[in-house]
Amino acid sequence: MFTRHVSRQLAAHIDGELAPSRARQVELHAAQCAQCRAEREQVRFGMETIERLPPVEAPDAIWVSIEAALRERQSQKAWAARRWRWAFAATAVLVLLGAAYWSVAHRSDARWDVVRIDGSPTVIRAGKWIETDSASSATVKIGDIGSVEVAPNTRLRVVTARPGEHRLALARGEIRAKISAPPRLFFVETVSGTAVDLGCEYTLNTDEAGFGLLQVTKGWVSFQWQGIESLVPAGASCRIRPNVGPGIPYFDDASENMKRALGDGALNVILAEARVRDTLTLWHLLSRVEAEDRARVYDRIASLTPIPAGVSREEALKLDAETLKRLKEELAWTW
Amino acid sequence: MLRFGIAACAVGALAFAEGFTFTIGNPVASQEFQMKTAAFVFRTNGCAEPAASQISATAEGLVKGARQSVVLKVKAAAKPGVYAVFQSWPAEGDWVVSLRGVCASESAGAIVPIGPKGFIRESAKFFPRPATSAEVDASLKALAQSGNKGGSK
Repeated sequence: MFTRHVSRQLAAHIDGELAPSRARQVELHAAQCAQCRAEREQVRFGMETIERLPPVEAPDAIWVSIEAALRERQSQKAWAARRWRWAFAATAVLVLLGAAYWSVAHRSDARWDVVRIDGSPTVIRAGKWIETDSASSATVKIGDIGSVEVAPNTRLRVVTARPGEHRLALARGEIRAKISAPPRLFFVETVSGTAVDLGCEYTLNTDEAGFGLLQVTKGWVSFQWQGIESLVPAGASCRIRPNVGPGIPYFDDASENMKRALGDGALNVILAEARVRDTLTLWHLLSRVEAEDRARVYDRIASLTPIPAGVSREEALKLDAETLKRLKEELAWTW
Repeated sequence: MLRFGIAACAVGALAFAEGFTFTIGNPVASQEFQMKTAAFVFRTNGCAEPAASQISATAEGLVKGARQSVVLKVKAAAKPGVYAVFQSWPAEGDWVVSLRGVCASESAGAIVPIGPKGFIRESAKFFPRPATSAEVDASLKALAQSGNKGGSK
């Protein structure tokens, strides 16, 4: 029925990545082809073996060898099938050796283990997607730098897990992160932007459209989207919205009028309601309001707390980066 | 030379006018991630040589009617004159932190009440000298009477 073998599709087939019609063709062919059935079992065995290995980072040198092997393979098409097997075998051996080496050399680094699960969660491709239902939750250990509690009804993907970068993608639901590491090692991507850990503990929730809330309980979190950044310290929150960037941060104990006004964009109310520690909100507004309103925001800050030496009104209104940084560092003593 | 001398005197006079004091803040004010779990951070003002200043702190508590005192380890931040206080006192009872500092010939003190949600900025008291036992007791009493409900975090 099929004259061509299906070696090239076996890995994708086992992974469930083929389209349904193509998957049926592979199954039909394998049913009649002993060679492909044997290959399928070999590939399945290899993949299961690799699945059982701890998730570790391969040294860069391995990829150089793999790329060289693949280039050689491309230049000798006549030997393609045989080469493929050799390349696969070589890759598997190299990965196994690399994994063994790396797990010894970096035993404590970059592990993403689901260490506790309550109820009966659906875990999709362990190490890749984690999904909890309404009755389940999970705790994911993020290497040696902390952990993430995954609330019910949450879908989460591990994007990157290496010592210099730990990155999750939160498709929907809620997570609570407790991170103890230098800033900018842990990231959570959402539809609306990326939460960047600056040394912190926080809760982040989002729906599938990208609407949600970031609440920080310790340290700082930076939420970024296309060059727009909200810095959220402990005790403060920030709305996240799709396509417009993060909202203006506010302290959780700010007046309800002020919180409402932030949603409505009612600047007069915000300025009237602001307390000294609400300079957190006002500082962010400096770079978000129209130029004609900027002076009003700056002057309100100045009326609430002394402006530090070295910060000029003129430079602040020009949104000079160094001036705004210096102002923020001083205002932070009131936050 | 004369101008330099006048300028130096002016700067010295300004520093003297400001006096040696403390400012307290949320741990994020230190700009150091290692401080994020601190109860609070503080900095010295009006001290020409912060590195040479002497800073100490004690937690003063009232637990089931009994006074307790815990000597605290104050952690210096990378930025001179910035310090962090980490909670090492029991969770039970009412507690304030008493800060003391000496810079050259000047002294400063502060009493920082601690609530369940963190330090209570609005009730903190600052002095141009170490706080007295009576002032500490009065702050503890006020904290207990307030129901100990405040906090900045």
